Amino acid sequence: MKLLRDVFIAGVGETPFRRHKADFDVLGRMAALEALRQSNIDRPQMIQSAYVGNATNGTVVGQTILKQLGMCGHMPIINVESACSAGGMAVHCAVKDVSTGLVDLALAVGAENHSLYMQRGTAFAPAMSDIETMHGAVMTGKYALRAKRYMHETGATVEDLAMITVKNRRHAKHNPNAWFKGDISIEEVVNSRLVADPLTLQQCCGIADGAGAVVVGSREMMDKLGIAQPIRVRGSVVQSGPYHNQPRDITGDDITESCSAALYELSGIGPKEVDIIELHDAFTIAELLYYECMGLCGKGEGLQFLRDGQSTYGGQCVVSPRGGMLSYGHPIGASGVAQVAACVKQLRNQCDGYQVEPVPRVAMTHVTGGGLSGTEHAACSMHMLSRD
Amino acid sequence: MSDEKKPAKQPKEDADITFYHPELLEVPEDGSPPFLKGYRCMGCGQLDFPKLSTCPTCWGEQFDMVPLSRRGKLYSVTDIYIGQAGMETPYIFGYIDLPEDLRIFAQLEGEPQSYQCDEEVELTVGTIRINRDGLPITSYKFSKLVPA
Repeated sequence: MKLLRDVFIAGVGETPFRRHKADFDVLGRMAALEALRQSNIDRPQMIQSAYVGNATNGTVVGQTILKQLGMCGHMPIINVESACSAGGMAVHCAVKDVSTGLVDLALAVGAENHSLYMQRGTAFAPAMSDIETMHGAVMTGKYALRAKRYMHETGATVEDLAMITVKNRRHAKHNPNAWFKGDISIEEVVNSRLVADPLTLQQCCGIADGAGAVVVGSREMMDKLGIAQPIRVRGSVVQSGPYHNQPRDITGDDITESCSAALYELSGIGPKEVDIIELHDAFTIAELLYYECMGLCGKGEGLQFLRDGQSTYGGQCVVSPRGGMLSYGHPIGASGVAQVAACVKQLRNQCDGYQVEPVPRVAMTHVTGGGLSGTEHAACSMHMLSRD
Repeated sequence: MSDEKKPAKQPKEDADITFYHPELLEVPEDGSPPFLKGYRCMGCGQLDFPKLSTCPTCWGEQFDMVPLSRRGKLYSVTDIYIGQAGMETPYIFGYIDLPEDLRIFAQLEGEPQSYQCDEEVELTVGTIRINRDGLPITSYKFSKLVPA
């Protein structure tokens, strides 16, 4: 989507990600209020539209979250669902509203509570109407198929995959909103419980609860609100996954490749200029493949990129500086918004104890969504943000 | 009235399926080997599996059934230890690429750790899950090659 006018982020909010007894609406309000207050917004009527990402908590989730904030009545609240991509899609919709001039100030929220709704000890599966689900598909297993094939073709080992968890948990060590964090050894990752061969428990994101929120607005609004460090949205892309039942290379990812290419073209920012990325590291293998899909390195070079330290502090691009989903866990409708919130904090030098140095100038976010047979993913939502 | 005849036992109207799915899998009654059913669009010739209501390329709605090869190459495979709610673990699934340029997602028969990428596998029929009534659902699966 070409941005018809400049769009900026005024403020962001996020809850800690972990198992919460508070339901999705409570979490959503916490994140939304933080974002609104940080944006110097002091009354609900200033926001002109809201998009709320959620995948599993039922109907009218947005209105349920926002009614107590006095935001029902004067504006449209649109609920956005595309499994794990819902949050990123909500941000996209808010950006689109401001970009087209339809509104000057919009809110995107992503909120999800799984632990109050989901049976313990079971894995996420796509809808039962899907032919693969009928045959036993679970998301862990679909990523395990990618890992198995990648290992078969490249000679990568499970120890190589485990390095992703070790890196991301280290990034998260001092991040108060991350759930699983700190030092973990390759052996501990490899020897944790087998979930879907070769993916062990510590290579899978936790099933967490949480919320994120982002306030976006026009340049004039940033001035009016007195935002000291507006973060510019340089590009926002949502795509749907190509559908066919023929063999495809699952060590690549068609939708992430095309979505990245579109985002680079729209933003005028190339992969080598991106300083930090929060991507869909729901499982270790995913981050490794996405280095290649996003063009951070060449095809087949992902493992070397990781081993050379190019995706951590001091490298070409710090990938998952908040700790990624492997540290936060993945409340599926919330993650896409929380990624944007985390990147904004990095760009604003607000990440005490886990700040990337030098302070990054350009950040990118990426959430795929939906195990839909015949596609790699049903959806992909990506954003490019910059300090200037 | 006390002498009213009891009606013959009928299958419950809301009974869950026990075979998935006649449009996808043929198990001949004469004992010849089962096969998957591909569908070729009569409008544009695209071959697809599973059967689609509309051809995504030309929106054609008429198809010729094409029996698909019974052997294919296992593109990737995994053993599942934490599965769907209600499914017994471990179970194995993978992608099987058929010579007709179609990829099939299916469970595989056998023990964990017994399959490799690029191995040739063969169609078989077995239980894929238990239905809402507690009965097994039969469908296509793949297995190691049976020696001729």
